[in-house]
Amino acid sequence: MATNKVATAAGTAAVAADGPAEGARGGTSVSLRELTRAFGASRALDGMSLEIAPGELVALLGPSGCGKTTALRIVAGFETADTGEVLIDGKDVSGMPAAKRDMGMVFQSYSLFPNMSALDNVAFGLRMRKVSGSARSAKAGELLEMVGLSAQAKQFPHQLSGGQQQRVALARALAIEPRVLLLDEPLSALDAKVRLQLREQIRTLQQRLGTTTLFVTHDQEEALSMADRVGVMRAGKLEQVAVPDELYARPATPFVAEFVGTMNRLPGDLGNGGTEVTVLGTTVPVQPGGPASGAVDVLVRPENLTVTPADGGDGIVSSRTFLGSITRLSVLLSGDTELKIDVASIHAAAMIPGTAVRVGIPSEPVLVAPRAS
Amino acid sequence: MAAVNQSARSRNGKFPVWRWVILLIAGVYFLLPLYAALRFAGVKAFGSVFTQPGFGAALWTSVQIAVMTWAITMALMVPTTIYVHLRLPAMRRFLESITILPIVIPPIVLTVGVLQVFPTQLKATMWLLGIEYVILAMPFAYRAIDAGLRSIDLKTLTEASTNLGASWVTTVRRVILPNLGTALLSSTVLIVALCLGEFTMASLNLVTTFPVWIVETDQLNANISVSASLIALVVTWLFLMLIVMIGSRRGRRTGAGEVNLFSVTANTKTIGES
Repeated sequence: MATNKVATAAGTAAVAADGPAEGARGGTSVSLRELTRAFGASRALDGMSLEIAPGELVALLGPSGCGKTTALRIVAGFETADTGEVLIDGKDVSGMPAAKRDMGMVFQSYSLFPNMSALDNVAFGLRMRKVSGSARSAKAGELLEMVGLSAQAKQFPHQLSGGQQQRVALARALAIEPRVLLLDEPLSALDAKVRLQLREQIRTLQQRLGTTTLFVTHDQEEALSMADRVGVMRAGKLEQVAVPDELYARPATPFVAEFVGTMNRLPGDLGNGGTEVTVLGTTVPVQPGGPASGAVDVLVRPENLTVTPADGGDGIVSSRTFLGSITRLSVLLSGDTELKIDVASIHAAAMIPGTAVRVGIPSEPVLVAPRAS
Repeated sequence: MAAVNQSARSRNGKFPVWRWVILLIAGVYFLLPLYAALRFAGVKAFGSVFTQPGFGAALWTSVQIAVMTWAITMALMVPTTIYVHLRLPAMRRFLESITILPIVIPPIVLTVGVLQVFPTQLKATMWLLGIEYVILAMPFAYRAIDAGLRSIDLKTLTEASTNLGASWVTTVRRVILPNLGTALLSSTVLIVALCLGEFTMASLNLVTTFPVWIVETDQLNANISVSASLIALVVTWLFLMLIVMIGSRRGRRTGAGEVNLFSVTANTKTIGES
C-alpha cells in the first residue's frame, strides 16, 4: 500500500524540519461525546463519540451522508448538536460561537476571499485578532513560504490554480495558530497529481506544527495514508476507530471490512455455536462479534486466499490483471461466486483465463456477516 | 468537407444581413426621434436651458431624491437579501415574487394608496416621494443583489470568515460587500436612472423633480423643454457608462463579476457543495 511510503516521507520531513514553529500550540485534545444531530427525520449523528489526542491527526472516513461532515461542523461551531458535547482541552465549547473557537478550517470548495490577495487572505485571521500591520504581513508571508507560495503573495485567488488556492487556504487556517485544524475534504476538488502532493504537504506541516487535526474524507486512500487513526463512520455512528493497518487487517465490522480495501464474500456454514465456519471445504475460527446462526458470508481479503491450478478444481480463472509484483485474478466459483485473489506475479503466469483452479483459505480467524441477499 | 464549409459560410453570410437590418430598424426607431428633437429645439436652446427658472432647483430635488432612495433601498435590501440567502434559502422564490409586485402594480395605484395613509405633513414633499421610489427600486435592487450573491459561494465565504474570528458585521463589511461591488453598482445605476426619469409618481405627489419640470416647461417653451430632455438623456447615459466602466475595471482586477445593467456575470470559480 501507499500508506508506508507516505508515512515515511512525512516522517523524514518532520525530522528534517527545524523544530516546531514558534508559538505552535501542539497540546490540544478534542473529545466528542455522544453527539446526536437530526435533520428532520434523518439522523446525521446518532450518539457519536471520539477522542483525539493532542497533536494527533484523525480522519473521519465514510460514504456521503454518514454524518462525518456534520461532526466536523459541530466541532467548528457551524452546527449545533441536539445532544452531547464537544470538549476542547476538557472544556465544553458547545455554547461558544464559531468565531471564538480558534479553529482553523480548510473547506472543500474554494473559500479564499476573492477581493483579497493571497497574503491578505492569510493575514485575515490575524487582522481579526488585532495583530499589527507589519507583524501580520510578516507572519502571513512566513506561512505562505511554508506552503511554497511566497511568489504568489500578491496574486488574487482567481489567478491561482486550484491546488494553490487550497494551499493558501491551509496557510490561512494555520496562520491563527489554531487549537484544532479542521479539514473538510480539502483535496476532493483537485486533480489526482496535485491531490497526492498536497496530501503529503498537509501531513508534513501538521506533524511539524503538532496541530491536533480532524480530517473528513470519503477517500479511503487519503484517510489511510495521512491519518494517525481513522474513524470509519456509517449512519451517524463510528463503526471503528483504529490505526490504518489495524483497520485494514482487523476490521471490526463487515461494513468497515468492505468499505476499506477490497473484500470477498464467500458463502459459509456456521458451526459450533457460531465460533467456527466452514468455507471452501475448510473449517476456520470466526472473529467474535458476528451472528451465532443463520446463513452467513465469510469476508476475506484478496491477498488472504490461496489459489493453485488443479484439474477438477471448483473454480475457473475468468480474468487477470497485472499489477506489477502481484497479479489480481478473478476466479469464478461454482454457485456464481466471483472472487478476487492476489497472487505473486511469478505464480500467476500459469493461470491464464480458463484455467481450472482450487481456492483455499488459511486457518486464521475470519469475519462473518449475515448473507447478502 | 467542402460542402460543410460552404453551408457554414452561407449561414454566416446570411446572419450579418439580418443583423444589419435589425440594427437599422432599431437605430431608426431610437435615433430618429432624438434627431427630430434636436432639429426642433435648435442648437441655441441648449445654452438657455441652464439659465431657465426652476432648472437648478428641479435637478437638485431629483439628485437629493436619488441619493435618499439609494440609501434607503441599500440599507433595506442588502441585509435582507444576504439574510435570506444564508438563513432562509427557501424564502428566495417568495421574496422574488414579492419584489416583483411594484412592477405589476401601476404607479398611480401605489401613489393613491400611499397618499391615503401617510400623514399630511409628508404629503407633497420629496421625502414621501423618495420613500415611494424605494418601493419602485426594490425589484431592481433585489435582482441585482441576488445575482451578485449567487455568483459567490456565500455560505463558504461567510463560514471561512467566521472561522477566522470575524464578527457578523466584519464579515459583511470586509468579505461580502467587497465581493458584491459589481452587483451594488448595477443596482445603483438602476436606482439613479429610475429616480432621474420617473414622472407619474412625482407629478401625482406634486413634487417638481427634473422630469416634472421638463413637462411644465414644455407648456411655456417647448424648445427649452426638448433640449433639457436631450441633455438629461445624454448626461444620464454618460453617468451610467461611467459607472459600468469603473465597475468593469475593478472586476477585471479582482476577477469578480462583470457589470451588466441587469445582471452580474460570475467569473469566480466555485465548486458545488458536497
